[in-house]
Amino acid sequence: MATPAEKVSPLRLMDWIWRLRGEVPLPAGQTADEALGKLEPLFAHPGTTHARMGDLIAVTKKDQLAQDPLSVVDSGVLHIVPAGEGAVLRYNLMSRALLWCFLAPLLFLGVAQLTIALGKLEKPPTEEKSKKDDKKKDKKSEIQLSPVDKFLGAPAPEKPKDEKDKDKKKKAEEEAPEGFSPTPAYVFAGIFAALYILGRILEAILIRRLFQRTLA
Amino acid sequence: MDGIRVGKRVVGTQSPVTIGWENIPKVEGGLLKRLFFTWFQPAVLFGLVAFWYYAPNSIAKASTAIGIGIGFRVILQILELTNPRHQSWQITWKELATDLFYVGLAGTLLNLAENYIGSDVAIEAIQGSLHLEKFAWFTGLPLLVQAFLIIFIFDFVQYWMHRGMHNWYPLWLPHSVHHYITQLNVHKGAVGNPVELFLIGLGIGGLFDFLPRAFLLAGAIGMSVGAYQHINVRFNSPRWWRWTFNTTEHHSLHHSQDFESTRSNYANTLIFIDRMFGTCIDGEAELLGMEGGRRMSIREQMLYPFTEGWKAYKERATRAPLFARANSSSAVPAE
Repeated sequence: MATPAEKVSPLRLMDWIWRLRGEVPLPAGQTADEALGKLEPLFAHPGTTHARMGDLIAVTKKDQLAQDPLSVVDSGVLHIVPAGEGAVLRYNLMSRALLWCFLAPLLFLGVAQLTIALGKLEKPPTEEKSKKDDKKKDKKSEIQLSPVDKFLGAPAPEKPKDEKDKDKKKKAEEEAPEGFSPTPAYVFAGIFAALYILGRILEAILIRRLFQRTLA
Repeated sequence: MDGIRVGKRVVGTQSPVTIGWENIPKVEGGLLKRLFFTWFQPAVLFGLVAFWYYAPNSIAKASTAIGIGIGFRVILQILELTNPRHQSWQITWKELATDLFYVGLAGTLLNLAENYIGSDVAIEAIQGSLHLEKFAWFTGLPLLVQAFLIIFIFDFVQYWMHRGMHNWYPLWLPHSVHHYITQLNVHKGAVGNPVELFLIGLGIGGLFDFLPRAFLLAGAIGMSVGAYQHINVRFNSPRWWRWTFNTTEHHSLHHSQDFESTRSNYANTLIFIDRMFGTCIDGEAELLGMEGGRRMSIREQMLYPFTEGWKAYKERATRAPLFARANSSSAVPAE
């Protein structure tokens, strides 16, 4: 049951973002001492410190190894509490990885805005750009495939067509200059939003399963 | 640990390593599985070379290359999940999220910075100020030769930059954090300090002109060889492949917890550059990392080169000059 102090905390309303809470029933007849004894080896991984106080284990982790089954956890409390005729393991774990993953889309959206802003500053004057393009076009029209590639049937380099080029130029003027496209940042914002949803669901399931199997 | 003598050096004294192709395990399982993991790498390489060589100009574009690159990475990620080389390197959600964060940084902020301070920008500025055109020496060569030159020129510079990072402390500092990875996974190539990623991306390719299709071919070859460097999948790579290209085996040895083994296999794509300079060791390692395999957080990866650099600077600044030390308390009076 939540304490009055927790009820008033506004963080409590959104701490589901970085907290993994749950309950796992203890097998019939298992005492709190036996249950915590079974759980203790989980905290023998490098970078993990834990303290046992009665029916409770407090744990903190630093530089967790990837293969640590609780690698997403940075700190937390595991408590054996009576429930009905038996008892349950109640856990409340904090994960910075989940929090940062939740915030990562915002970072990449910020990067996208920065890219757009810098792109606007970098947009070269149209005349200068068209001069550069004309120079490139002249060079391109001189380039020919080597006889070996001609013999093997590789397509010849494209010769710039004026009409097509004009359309392209118009389009390019509307688009971001080369090297200043915000698309990759938007893509990564999307990837991290999806990763967060995956991680929040998957890690909750994996941790619950880990405790269930350890206590069995 | 006794270690294994390889040429003039002894490797594997600090952490176990396997040396020699004959000692490296092969893919086990049914015929189809063995065929798949034997022919996957060459099939992808030759398939992509053929595609980019013959693709019509309307398809042969950078956007197609990006699409293929993403698709290829997804396939490799699935292979890692279903066929891990080592269980101790198994990808997890947190590891994937961490790796993709670095990929994201490289694909966005680092690219943005390279618009201002990248080697291509510097070369363009020099060419502009000297009114020089790009050297068009290679544009008349066959496309595959041009593609090879693009890869070789980049890899050659990268080899020396990477070797320099392992031999000169100011360069080692930004690179050191990449060596704190404790397992290899497909996106681990991007894990590291952005300063290091910037340095390793420097090249002189911008001095030369090549056909656009040659760049696409070089990109495809680089991708279909380089993508395996950090992968947690075992392949039965053909003998010619292992002789020519960097493999997971070579790179795992480079990331070993054994110091002497890390001083080998520096090239990014073409391992024969290491063979040219006597730094290639054919072998593999499973135990990776630094400080006994301590995993570094993203925060520490970002700060470590600077904090350690500051410590080193302060230590040097407060140290008495060499000759002053020699003449101080340790001086022995003449008889």
